Amino acid sequence: MIEILDPTVEAATQPIAYVDRPGSLAGKRIGLIENTKFNSDKLLQRIGEILKTEYGASETRMFRKHNSSVPAHEEIIQEVRKTCDVIVAGVGD
Amino acid sequence: MAVVLTSKRYRVEDATDAVEFCFQQGWTDGLPVVPPTPDRVSAMLGAARLDPKQQIAFITHRSVSVTAEKIAVNAVMAGCKPGYMPVVVAAVEGIGDPAWSYHGPGTSTGGAAVLVIVNGPIAKELEINAGDNLFGPGWRANLTIGRALRLVMRNVCGSLPGLLDRGTLGHPGKLSYVIAENEGESPWTPLHVERGFRPEQSTVTVMAAESPHQFYNQLSPDAEGVLTTLADAMQRSGGAGRQPQYVVTLAGEHMRTIAGSGWGKKEIRQFLFDHTQNSHAHLKRTNRIPGAVQPGDDTKLRPLVASPDDILVVAAGGRAGAFSAFIPGWGGARSSQATTKEVRR
Repeated sequence: MIEILDPTVEAATQPIAYVDRPGSLAGKRIGLIENTKFNSDKLLQRIGEILKTEYGASETRMFRKHNSSVPAHEEIIQEVRKTCDVIVAGVGD
Repeated sequence: MAVVLTSKRYRVEDATDAVEFCFQQGWTDGLPVVPPTPDRVSAMLGAARLDPKQQIAFITHRSVSVTAEKIAVNAVMAGCKPGYMPVVVAAVEGIGDPAWSYHGPGTSTGGAAVLVIVNGPIAKELEINAGDNLFGPGWRANLTIGRALRLVMRNVCGSLPGLLDRGTLGHPGKLSYVIAENEGESPWTPLHVERGFRPEQSTVTVMAAESPHQFYNQLSPDAEGVLTTLADAMQRSGGAGRQPQYVVTLAGEHMRTIAGSGWGKKEIRQFLFDHTQNSHAHLKRTNRIPGAVQPGDDTKLRPLVASPDDILVVAAGGRAGAFSAFIPGWGGARSSQATTKEVRR
């Protein structure tokens, strides 16, 4: 018999507090996190319009990240905290 | 003092079973591995004089701590000699640097590999190839150091093909992509010295990179001639429009021809910067950048790279043959930058 070692590692577990999803978007302020990829602003704009016209969201605001491969920077997060109830974010190619 | 290894242990019948076991666990790149026994892992750590618990890198976006022990396990699997471990460790430090920005090149559909350029005395000591068949097989150090790095990315950082490594095409350099600079024959300042280190220090430079693109010029007797061919090939390559960094590897014949004209790396960079710019009209017509061609776009130029310093010039490749290569970096230089780390022993 021989013994071998596991080369893998689990990501450190960290508590993440999730906000409850709202039951309805009526009257909610929507933040749109734009990742700088081509057309991502247009796609998010359209999603924002649908959330207003079909789901009753009150307003949308768009935020632009520094680039698509990094998380939203601190200024965006602070601004979203103050001015939005719900955000839409994603990466697409 | 005995080294305390904390990785989970598995018992298997023999070395052959261990190889198969590693395949079954999904721990390999598709090739057989050397079984990572505690003795071999301890020897790997000992050669770099590292405590197993020592954190070498922290991948912020994935909350992954990369410890010396996990690097050592993967380096054994890759087939490294213990003496290679300090180089692997420096490469891991490099991809863990915020400027390299792991999550982008480690995940992206762009399919980057990690080009590893070794400078300083350790390259010769470990017989890291800087000559014939530069990007090809034949040298244990070149093949296993890069393989160890990719196994760390896979097994520790989570860059599993199809999951958190979403490269559309990838390329063979993702198995291993390690070269050394041919400092013994180069007339130029070595890369690490240009990047702020002393000649006697050993370093590893890592760049998220496409495959090598070879070019051919057997006709020119001077620097301008050779570099005109190179600039023409680079101009419409890879990231045209996105301004990534580039590595240029100049092999023996071209190195001698260019140096014969009295040109150093600074002149090479400047010439390439000046002669690889594209008009906005061309970039738009060929769908590299969005938008309709506007009046003036034919004369409005966009440099291939943001600055001449984004072209890293390396003397490397065989003595014979009128071939050299350029390597486009991944994405744009704002998204990921080449980093250089000292090899500590």
